[in-house]
Amino acid sequence: MAKTIVKNLIFFILVLVIAPALVQADVSPTYALVNCRIVPVGGPQVEKGIIIIRDGLIESIGTIGIIKIPEDAEVIEAEGLTAYPGLISAHTNFFIEPPKEERPAAEALQTAESQPEKPVAKRGSPAFSLLKPKKTTIEALHRIGITTILAAAGSGIFAGQSVLINLNGEAVEPMVVKNPVALHINFATERGAYPSSLMGTMALLRQSFLDAAYYASHRTRFEQLGRGMKRPEYNPFLEDLVPYVVDKKPIIFTCANQEDIKRALRLRDEFKLNILISGANEAWRVADALRKTPVPLFISLDFRPPMSSEYSQKGEEEKRRAEKDIYPANAKALSQAGLPFALTSFGLSDPATIQKNIRAAIYAGLPADEALKAWTITPAKFLGVDSILGSLERGKIANIILTRGEIFDEKTEIEKVFVDGVFFPVEKKAAEAQPAAINVAGTWKAAVRSPMGELDLTMELEQEGSKVSGALTSAMGRWEIREGTLSGSNLVFSIEATIMGQTMTMEFSGTAEKDSLEGTISTAMGNAELRASRVPKTSP
Amino acid sequence: MKKHILILFSILLLAASLIYGQSQNEGYTAIKGAHIIPVVGEDIPVGTILIKDKLIEAVGKDIVIPASARIVDGTGLYAYPGMIDSFCFLSLSEISSIPATIDYRETGRINPQVRSVEALRPDSMHIPITRSNGITAALVVPSGGLIAGQSGLIRLTGWTPGEMVIKSPVAMHVEFPSLGRRGFQREQEPREEASKQVIELKDWLNKARFYQKRKQAAAKNMLLQMPEFDEKLEFLHPVVNGELPLMISVHADKDIRAAIKFVQEEKIKAIFFGMTQGWKVAEEIAKAGIPVVFGSLYDMPPSWEDGYDALYRNPAALQKAGVKIAFSSQSASLAKDLPYHAAKAAAFGLEKREALKAVTINPAEILGVADIMGSLEKGKLANIVLANGDILELRTTISRVFIDGQEIDFSSRYTELLDKYKPRLKQKK
Amino acid sequence: MKKMIFVFSFILILSFSASPLWPGGNLLIKNGTILTVTKGVIPRGDVLIIGGIIKQIGENIQAPPGVQVIDASGKFVLPGIIDSHTHIALSGTNETGDVITAEVDMADVLDAEDLSIFTALSGGVTMVHTMHGSANPIGGRNVTIKLKRARPSEELVVRQAYPTLKFALGENPKQANRIGTTGPPRYPLSRMGVNAIIRRELLRARTYMSQWDRYNELRKSKNPPKTLLPPRRDLRLETLAELLRGNLVARCHTYRADETLEFINLSKEFGFKIACFEHIPEAYKIVPELVREGVGISIFLDNWAYKVEAAEGIAPMAAYCAQNGILVSINSDGAERTRRLFNDAAKAIKYGGLSEEEALKLVTLNPAIQLGVEKIAGSLEVGKHGDVAIFNEHPLSAYTRCEMTIIEGDICFDRSQYLSEREEAAKRQKEPKKG
Repeated sequence: MAKTIVKNLIFFILVLVIAPALVQADVSPTYALVNCRIVPVGGPQVEKGIIIIRDGLIESIGTIGIIKIPEDAEVIEAEGLTAYPGLISAHTNFFIEPPKEERPAAEALQTAESQPEKPVAKRGSPAFSLLKPKKTTIEALHRIGITTILAAAGSGIFAGQSVLINLNGEAVEPMVVKNPVALHINFATERGAYPSSLMGTMALLRQSFLDAAYYASHRTRFEQLGRGMKRPEYNPFLEDLVPYVVDKKPIIFTCANQEDIKRALRLRDEFKLNILISGANEAWRVADALRKTPVPLFISLDFRPPMSSEYSQKGEEEKRRAEKDIYPANAKALSQAGLPFALTSFGLSDPATIQKNIRAAIYAGLPADEALKAWTITPAKFLGVDSILGSLERGKIANIILTRGEIFDEKTEIEKVFVDGVFFPVEKKAAEAQPAAINVAGTWKAAVRSPMGELDLTMELEQEGSKVSGALTSAMGRWEIREGTLSGSNLVFSIEATIMGQTMTMEFSGTAEKDSLEGTISTAMGNAELRASRVPKTSP
Repeated sequence: MKKHILILFSILLLAASLIYGQSQNEGYTAIKGAHIIPVVGEDIPVGTILIKDKLIEAVGKDIVIPASARIVDGTGLYAYPGMIDSFCFLSLSEISSIPATIDYRETGRINPQVRSVEALRPDSMHIPITRSNGITAALVVPSGGLIAGQSGLIRLTGWTPGEMVIKSPVAMHVEFPSLGRRGFQREQEPREEASKQVIELKDWLNKARFYQKRKQAAAKNMLLQMPEFDEKLEFLHPVVNGELPLMISVHADKDIRAAIKFVQEEKIKAIFFGMTQGWKVAEEIAKAGIPVVFGSLYDMPPSWEDGYDALYRNPAALQKAGVKIAFSSQSASLAKDLPYHAAKAAAFGLEKREALKAVTINPAEILGVADIMGSLEKGKLANIVLANGDILELRTTISRVFIDGQEIDFSSRYTELLDKYKPRLKQKK
Repeated sequence: MKKMIFVFSFILILSFSASPLWPGGNLLIKNGTILTVTKGVIPRGDVLIIGGIIKQIGENIQAPPGVQVIDASGKFVLPGIIDSHTHIALSGTNETGDVITAEVDMADVLDAEDLSIFTALSGGVTMVHTMHGSANPIGGRNVTIKLKRARPSEELVVRQAYPTLKFALGENPKQANRIGTTGPPRYPLSRMGVNAIIRRELLRARTYMSQWDRYNELRKSKNPPKTLLPPRRDLRLETLAELLRGNLVARCHTYRADETLEFINLSKEFGFKIACFEHIPEAYKIVPELVREGVGISIFLDNWAYKVEAAEGIAPMAAYCAQNGILVSINSDGAERTRRLFNDAAKAIKYGGLSEEEALKLVTLNPAIQLGVEKIAGSLEVGKHGDVAIFNEHPLSAYTRCEMTIIEGDICFDRSQYLSEREEAAKRQKEPKKG
C-alpha cells in the first residue's frame, strides 16, 4: 500500500517538476516504524524501538510499548533493522549544472589605455540557481544512506554560495533546508586572465576582502551622514562579499593539499574570517597548525594524493601505496589529535567508492561510531542545522535510514530511507549492475565538442568484466580513466585531467556500441559531447 | 702623420702574419717536453710530438727533430688528442630562440635526404669558443621527425663548408618511437601509436630494399621496368646495405629493448643516442654490440625512481657492462662543455681514463674515423691540445690547440667582446 | 649541594641522552679539508655545530657527549651553496594575467614537497632565493628559503633575508619570443613601453602614498571633515610604496647593458634601492656604472645565445666583473642547474683566472651578501648557521660529488644513506611478491 502511494507520488513529481509548489506533506502519511533497533547518535541506543513520523518530522521516538502507535499511522514492521539518522555529505558538487560559458570574443590588442588599473574578480553564481537534481543520483545516494547534501559549485575562485538540501524528491524548492549556507572559495586560477597563478589568486582574495570591508564602511558612513557625501557606486560582487567579510558569515575554503589549508588559515587570521575547511585530505599533515585555532573540517574521503604531494611525484607505485595506506588514515589521525571533523564525499561521484572509502577510513583506525558522528551530527553542527538534523530526536526532521546490519559494514544494505518523512524504498543494487553487453577494449578515435572548442582524443580502453580502465590522450596530455563501469551498453567513467597544472575531474556517461561510442562529459566548467569510433587493430 | 705610420705598421703586421700563417701549413712542427697522453698506448711523461703538415709524424720520448722544425715548448703542459663531440648542432644553430638562425630541423617526419653538412655556417660564433676548449671535431646532426636526415663530421676550422667536412654522411638519424615513459612526463604517444611507428620505420627500410633490388634488376635487364624515382628510398640505400649506420635516439628501457630487436631484425649497423635509462638494460646493449652516444648529462633524471644521479651514473654502468661509449654536448652554444659531461660521469663511477676515451678514441671508432683521429699516433691528423692539466678538469687552462697541424687562434666572441669593453675601465669616471 | 646534584644529573643526561638537548641540530664534522671561504683553508680540521649554529672551527675538537660525529677524512667541507635566483619549491612562477603584478607574493605559494628541493640538496645547495618569473615588468615579491627537507613550508623561510621585489626588462616582458603564449599581444611591446609602464606604476604609487599622507594629516587635524574616508587600500600600490619607502629592494631581470642603465636611472628618479641585477649577460660593458652604483649581479656563468639579448653574454664575465669590484654570484634559474652550481663556479677559474677562494664565493658568500644573509650564511664562521656541504673532492674539481648536505646541523642529504636505501629498495623489488 505504502509503496504504491510513494510510487504514485514520485510519478506525480516527475510529471509536475515544473510545478514544484506542490508540497509532499499534503499526501505524506504518518508512519510508525516498529521493532527496530535505534541508533539515534548522541543518545542511548534502543534495542526494540519505535519511531513515529508525522508531517516530515519525528513526532516521537523511544522504546516500543511506551510509545503508542497513532491510529492514522502506516505501520512499518522493522524487526531486524536498525534506524540511523540519514547521512549528511557536507560538501558535494552534485546536481550543479554550471551556466554555459560564453566563448570570449576575440580579444583586441592591449594598449596602455586598455589596461585595467585593478583586476576584477568573477562573481560566482549561487548554487541554488544552478541546481538540477537527478533522480538516478538521488536513488544512488539513498542506497548508501545519504539523505542530505550540501551542494556547491565546483569551479571558480569565488564559487558562489552553497545550499543544503534534503534528497526528498526532484523539485528544487521543497528540498532546500538552508540557503545560502556559506560562501565557497577555491584556490583556483583563471585561464588566460587574472589571476592565472596561485599567488595571483591569493593577492586577489586579499584585495577582494579589503575592498568588501572598504565598500561596507563607505556605505555605512554614507548612510550615517545622509547627505553631503557622494554615494558609493553599487558593486554586486562586493555586495555578495560583505556579509562574509564584515558580518563574518561562514566561508568554506576548499583545500586540495596541506598548503591550501595553511593558506586558508592565513587568510582567516589576516581578515578575521569565519571559515570552514573542506577537501583537506592532507589535514593530518598540518594537525599542529589546526590545533592552535580549531576550524571545522569537512574531510573528503577522496584518498587520491593531491598532485603537489610528494607521494604523487615519486612514481605510480608510491602514489598507489599512498592512496591505499596513507591517506585513508587522515580521519583517524585527526580524531586522535582531537580535531573536530565531518566526513564528506567531496571529489567522489561513485556511491560505491564513497562507501568503500568510509570502510577504508574505519579500517585505517577511525572508530566506527566516530565515523557515524562525522556523517551526521558533526556536519549538522558545522552547518548550523543540528537543531533540526543530524540525530534521531523528537521534533527533528525525519531523515531516517533503516539498515540490515551495522551501517558501515561491508555486507550491510540500506533497505528503507525516509527523507523529510517521505518514504523511499531502496531498490537492490542487482538491478543496476547489469553485465557488460559488449567489449569496449581497444583504441578509439574520439572528438570532443564543447563550448570551448573541439578536441581530438585517442582513447585506449581496457575492460575486465564490467570494469573499464584506460586513458585518454590528446594534445593537452594524457588523462587516466578512473572508476569506469560498463553496465549493459551504458558506459560511465571519470577522468582525472591535468590542464595547465590544474587537476580536475570530469565525468563521462554515455552508451557504447561495438564500434561507436557517444556520450557527455560533464565538467565543472560545462558539458561537452564526445563521439568516438573504434580504430581497427593493425595486424603486424 | 702619426696615424699614417700606425696604419702602415698594421698593414705590415697583417702581411707578416699572413706569410707566417702560410708557412705554418708546411714543414715540421715539434711539440717538445710535454707530458703526452696519446690515449692509445702508454703515457709519455716527457716527450715530443712531431707534426709534418697535417699529420702526426712521430710521438715518443726520443724523437729526432728536424732542424727546420718550428718548436713549440710543451714543458709543463699536457698533450692530448683533440676531443670529438659525437652529437651537436655546431654551425647549424646560432641563437636557439631565433628560427632564422636554426638549420638542423626540417618539417615533416621522413627526411633521409637532408644532409647537415650542407647547411654549415663556418663563421658560427660558437666554433672558436668550442675549439678553444680543446674540441677539434664534431658530429653535426639533423634532428626532428622520425627520420631526421644525415649527419656529418666536421673539423672546427675552415673558411668554407667544404674545408670543414671530414666525413659525410656519418649516420642516418632516427628518433625511435617511444613506447614508454620518458622524462618526468607521462608518455606522449600511446603505445599503439608507437608500435605503429616502428612498423612504419621497418616499412621504409623494406621498401628501400625492394626499390634497390628492382633498380639493380632493371639495370641488368633492359626489359624490366625501372621503379619510379623515390627520393626517400634513394637515400635509405646505404642504411639497408649496412654501409651507413642508423643513429637511433632512444631513452626508456622498454624502448631500448625494442630498438635492439629492431636493429637485429633489420640487420643494420646502429649507434644508440641518448639512452637515459640505458643502465637498466646495460647487459642487453653490450650483448647486441651497439655503441652508445650519450646526450647532455645536464638534465633531470627521467623519473624519481631512477634516482637523482641516474644520468650521471648511467655512463659508468654501460661502460662496465662492456658497451663502447662516447659523450656529446647535444648543443651548439654549450658544445664547449663536452669534457665536463665526461667528468661528471667520472664523478659518479666512470674511470677517469674511460671518460677521456669517451671523448677521443671511442667517438673516432664509433663514427668510423679511428684511422685518422682520436689519439696521438703516427699517421693520424695532428689534432692536438696542450693544457696545463687534465683536459676534463674545469680548472684547467687550455694553452694551445692544433687542428690538422695548424695552431688555431684563441680569439672568439668572448675575447673580442671583452677586449672591446676593457678600455672602458680606464675611462674617466 | 642541591646545585651539585643538579649539575651532576645534567651531565648524566648529557652523556646518556641520544636525543639532542638543544633545539636545532648538533654535529661534529671531523678531519675534513675545511674551506671556510672567508678565513682560509684548514687542511685537516673540524666543525662543531651546536643547536644549529657553528660553535667552533679548528683542529682536534672533542665531540660533546651525545653529539653525532661525521667523519670527513679525505673530504672537503664548505659552506652550503646559495642560489641567488631560482624558481624551485613554488606552486607557480609567473602571474601572466596582468602586466604589473607587484601585489603577488611567492611566499604564498611555497611548495615544500617539490622534489627539486632534494635534487638541489644533492648538489650541496642549502639556501635559495626563489622568485617570481620574468614575464612582467613588475612581477611580485620573492622569498628566500632554506632547503630543510621534510619540514613545513613556513619553517623554510629565511626571515633575515631582504624582502625583494622582482622587476624584468627586455625581451621577456615585451614578449619578444612569444613561444607558448596565446592571446593578442599586450602592452608593452618595446623596451620604451616597459620603462614607461614601470614609471607609470611608480607614479601611481607616489600618488597613492600622498593620498594616505593627506588622509592621515586631515584625520589628525582638529576638525576632520565628516565625509573624510581613508583611500581605498590597493595591495599593488602598497607593495610599490614599500619599495619607494626603502622597505623592499628591487631584483631586476635584465639582459642588455643599455636597459640596465635605464633602470638605474629609474631607481634614481624614484629613489628606490636595487639589490641586484639578474642574468645581465652584458654587465662587462658597464662595469664603471655598476661599481659606482654598488649594485651586484647574479648571473649565468656561460649559458648564452638562447635569445638575441643573450648573444653577447660571455663566460669570462664573472671573473672580469668580480676582479673589477662588482659583487658577483652565479645562479641557476631552475632546478637542473642549481645542483651543479659548483661546476659553474669552477669555470670562473678557467675563464678569467679567478682564485679558488674567489670562485667559491660566487656560490656562497656573494649570494649571501646579495640576499642580506651574510651574517648567518655564506661562509664557515663561528656564530653562523651550521649550513654545510661535504664533497668527496675539491668542490671546484670537475670530478667532485656532493656527499652530504647539512642545514642548521641537520643532515638533509646523505649520499651513502641514499645509496643504501636504494639498494634495499632494489632488493625488495627483486624478491617475489607475496600473494
